[in-house]
Amino acid sequence: MRRFFAAGLTLLLVCAATALAVHAADGTVYGKGVTLTESVPIADLMADPEAWVGKRVRVEGLVVDVCKKRGCWMELAGGENQPAVRIKVEDGVIVFPLEARGHEAVAEGVFTRIVLDDGLGEAHSHEGHDAESCRKETRPGVIYLIRGTGAIIR
Amino acid sequence: MAGSAPRANHRVRRWLRVIHRDAGYLAVGLTLVYAVSGVAVNHVADWNPSRVIERVERPLDLGDVRTDDALVDAVGAALGIDTPPARTFRATADRLLLFWDGMTVEADLARGMATIETVRDRPVLRQVNLLHLNEPKGWWTLVADLYAVVLAFLALSGMFLLRGRQGLAGRGKWLVGAGLALPLIALLLLRGGP
Repeated sequence: MRRFFAAGLTLLLVCAATALAVHAADGTVYGKGVTLTESVPIADLMADPEAWVGKRVRVEGLVVDVCKKRGCWMELAGGENQPAVRIKVEDGVIVFPLEARGHEAVAEGVFTRIVLDDGLGEAHSHEGHDAESCRKETRPGVIYLIRGTGAIIR
Repeated sequence: MAGSAPRANHRVRRWLRVIHRDAGYLAVGLTLVYAVSGVAVNHVADWNPSRVIERVERPLDLGDVRTDDALVDAVGAALGIDTPPARTFRATADRLLLFWDGMTVEADLARGMATIETVRDRPVLRQVNLLHLNEPKGWWTLVADLYAVVLAFLALSGMFLLRGRQGLAGRGKWLVGAGLALPLIALLLLRGGP
């Protein structure tokens, strides 16, 4: 019985060490990771957002903010004095850690337009510009974000 | 021949008891993890179940400092922070972000104010929530799936451990019925989502 437990414990430790090694190599992978090879500058996306709506894009930059309650979004800024873009992910499927702030990240997803005055305010509850939480966004207007499928935070 | 069915029943019940007992022992640790975390994340609308986040706003007197490096030093000095930030970022002409491990400072240069945000883990809760919400993914997903199977087995096998008035045919059926009715009533009376 003791041998069984010792073997089980050793296996667990090996798994944990392997997982840590994978994370340490290229940063931590979230969701499906990043498959596209070319990044679109965030400044280009935000300068002409309509041209990018519906397209799958890869972006990279500094994580300047993260959803504090659920880790369901993070904001990436491509450069100083430039606009940031929000990477919104499915709740619980990907959880961005608060510790990501100040770290470089690459993310991938579909660039999306969200209309906030279409009567679906509740459905947009996690997608508004409320930096504090995931509260319902009530202001009308249009916002652009990336529906993220994966990211790597270094 | 007539006595073979009761004997087989007895054997099955004995094995059920043995497996139920050992599976129960195995499940103690994870059940506590999921129970404690379950209560904590149930109330996510009211609090952050994993972190304590504190925000303090303080005035900044930076004088005539204008270069970014000097600004970073001046912000740290004005706030009494000795260690240099791990990363700085000039988001806009008036907004400077400084990142430390567990702390972020947002300096509003136009208003002369700094927002200091510190983040620390809630001991135990951070760890159990991490496991409950399957943040590690990978092989933990398999552990969580196996645990779910063990829980289902415990629930089903538990119904057949006792016979007679204390068993499923006696008071058991009423209690199982009540337990099944609860989620059904909730589904009828309560609505989630938009």
